[in-house]
Amino acid sequence: MNESTASATSIRRRLLLFLLPPLTLLMLVGVFINYRTATLFVRAAYDQKLADMARAFATQIQQPEPKALVAPTGILFSISTPRGQVTAGQPGLPQAPAGSSPLSYGDASFEGHDLRLATYRTSTAVITVAENDDSRPNPGRFILASNWLVDFIQLDVTLLIVWIGVHFGLKPLLLLRRQIEARSARELRPLDAASVPAEVRPLVDALNLLFEMLTGAAQAQSRFVADTAHQLRTPIAGLRGSLQVLMREPAAAPLHSRLSSLYEGVSTLSHSANQLLALAQADRSTSLTRGFHKTDLKSVAERIVERNVDRAVESGLDLGAECSPAGVDANARLLDDLLGNLMDNALKYTPSGGRITVRCGYETGQAYLEVEDDGPGIPEAERPRVLERFYRIPGSPPGGCGLGLAIVDEIARQHDARLSIESGAEGRGTRIRVTFNRGPTENSVAD
Amino acid sequence: MRILVVEDDFLVADAIRRGLCMSGFAVDCASDAEQAAAALAAEHFDLALLDIALPGADGLTFLRRLRNAGTHLPVMILTARETLATKVQALDLGADDFLVKPFEQTELAARCRALIRRSNLRSSGQLTLGKLRIDITGRQLYIDNEPVELTGREWLIVECLALNSGRIVTKERLQQAVASWDQAITPNAVEVHVSRVRAKLGDSVVLRAVRGLGYRLDEPR
Repeated sequence: MNESTASATSIRRRLLLFLLPPLTLLMLVGVFINYRTATLFVRAAYDQKLADMARAFATQIQQPEPKALVAPTGILFSISTPRGQVTAGQPGLPQAPAGSSPLSYGDASFEGHDLRLATYRTSTAVITVAENDDSRPNPGRFILASNWLVDFIQLDVTLLIVWIGVHFGLKPLLLLRRQIEARSARELRPLDAASVPAEVRPLVDALNLLFEMLTGAAQAQSRFVADTAHQLRTPIAGLRGSLQVLMREPAAAPLHSRLSSLYEGVSTLSHSANQLLALAQADRSTSLTRGFHKTDLKSVAERIVERNVDRAVESGLDLGAECSPAGVDANARLLDDLLGNLMDNALKYTPSGGRITVRCGYETGQAYLEVEDDGPGIPEAERPRVLERFYRIPGSPPGGCGLGLAIVDEIARQHDARLSIESGAEGRGTRIRVTFNRGPTENSVAD
Repeated sequence: MRILVVEDDFLVADAIRRGLCMSGFAVDCASDAEQAAAALAAEHFDLALLDIALPGADGLTFLRRLRNAGTHLPVMILTARETLATKVQALDLGADDFLVKPFEQTELAARCRALIRRSNLRSSGQLTLGKLRIDITGRQLYIDNEPVELTGREWLIVECLALNSGRIVTKERLQQAVASWDQAITPNAVEVHVSRVRAKLGDSVVLRAVRGLGYRLDEPR
C-alpha cells in the first residue's frame, strides 16, 4: 500500500476532515453573533447619548431665557418647529422618521457623511441631534478582531485536542498493527484480543478465526501427507527390498533381466511417490505449519553431498563442494529436498567421467546455493518449461517424473529465493542457482 | 552378529530379513512390541531395527521402555514418516540411527555394521573395519592382525577417520584432531599426512577423498 492510499483511508484524517467544516462553521456563526450583539450594545449606548443631548436641547429651549445652543464637536443638530421651520442649528439636517414615542432614531446621509440621528419631538419643537458615524469610535471592529482571534485559537485548540485524542484513541489499533507487522507471514498464532478496544475486537476475532482455520487446514494437510507417506512407502519398501533380495538369490539368475526391469519399475514408482510427497510437503498450505529457522547453507550442502557420494562414485562422477558458511532463514528439511533434487538431476543427467560441484556462500551480500555440472545442459528454449510440473525435456532418459525442478521452484518460492538456470563454466553443462533475498531475521531461532 | 527386526509389514520384514541374512547377519523378526520384548528377554541381540508404526505399543514407546530399563542395545528406527519432529524425538529417546523407507538394502546393511561396530567399541575399546583392527585404548593399528607402525599424527588421523567411518570427516576437523597446542598445522600438511596413511592402509579399506569437503573411510564392499 503506498502512502497516499494509506492516508486517504486513515481514520485520523477522516475524523479531522469530518470535524473541520462544522467546527469552522460554528466558529463563524459564533463570531457573527458576538459581533452583532456587541455592535447592538455599543449603538444603544451611543444612541442613548444622542437622546440625552436632544432632551437637553429641548429643556434648554424651553427656558425663559435660553442660552446659545452649543453642540460638542462632531455633533450636528437642528431645531425646527413642528411645521418644519428651522429655528436653530444646521439647516437641512434630516430628521429621523417619527415613531410611536417622541424619541426616534434613524440613519441618513448628509453632505457626504453617514449620520446617526436622534429626533425628539415635543409639542413645540422637533429637535434632531446627529453624529457622524465615522467619528464614532468603532468598537465593533475591535470586538470583531478579538472575537476572531479567540475563536480561531479555540478552533485550533479543539482540533489539536481532537488530533491528540484520536492518537490516543487509535493507539490500541497502532499496537495491533505493530503486532501483526512483527509477525512473519507464516505465523498463525492468534492475536491477543484482550488488549484491543471493543470496537476492534470483532475484527481481531475474525482474524483469529481465520488463523485458526488456516492452521487447521495446514495441519490436516500435513497429517494427510504424513499418512499417505506411510501408506505408500511401506509397501513400496517391501516390494523394492524383496526384489533386491530376490535378484541376489542364485536361483533367480535365469530371471535376472525380467526382475531387473521389474525393479526399475518399482524404483520409478518409489521415486514418483517420494517426489509427489515432497511436492505436497513443499506446498505453501502444508508448510505453513513448518518452522523457519536460521540455517547454514554450508551444512545443508555438506549433508546432501555426503548423502550422494556413493551414487556419484557408482556413476563415475566427481562430486565435490566449494562451500563457505551462509546463513538464511529457512526450513532445513525443505532445503534438503531442494538441494537433493538439484543433485539428483545432476547425477542423473551427467555422463560418467563428469564433474558436479555444489557451491554456497555470499555474492553481492546475498546468500546463494548452486549445483553445477558439465553434462548435456538444458537448451535455452527449454529453461522456462522445465519448472512446470510433470514437464520432461523430450528425449530424457526414463526414471524421472518431471517434478524435480517444480519442487525446487516451489521451495525456492517459500523461501523468497530466486531460481536461475544457466549454462555452466565455458558454456557447458548446467548451473542452477538459488539466491536468497532475505538473510536470517532477528526473530528466527538459531538451529 | 544377530539382529532383531521389529516390523509388522510382512513384505518389508521379509525383505529386511533375507537381505541382512545375505550380508552375513543372523536375523529374527517380531511383528509387535510384545513379541520383541519376549525375544530380547530370551536371547542376546547386537542390534534392533524398530518400525515406528506398530500395532499396539508403537516403536517409540517400546524404545522408551527399553531405555528406561537401562538396555544399551543399539536401536535403528525404520520409518515411512519422514518428519523432522519424529526424527528428533526418536534420537532424543535414545535411538542410534534413523532410516526412512524405502531404503537400499546395501545402505541398511552398511548402517547395521556401523552401529554394531560402534557398540563393540564401547565394550571392547576396539574397532574392526574390514581387515583393519583399531585398538583405540592401546593406540595400535592392525591389518590382518599384523601391527602397523604409525607416527603420532598418522595415528590421530586413522583414529578420527575410523571413529567416523562411513561419514565424511572434513579437512578442518582432521586439522583440529592433528594439531597440537604448540604446533599449528596447515591444510596442505593434513593432505600429506593423509596420503601417507593411505599408503600404509593399502587396499585393506577404502579411503575416499571428497573434493572440497574431506575424507571418508569405508570397509571395502
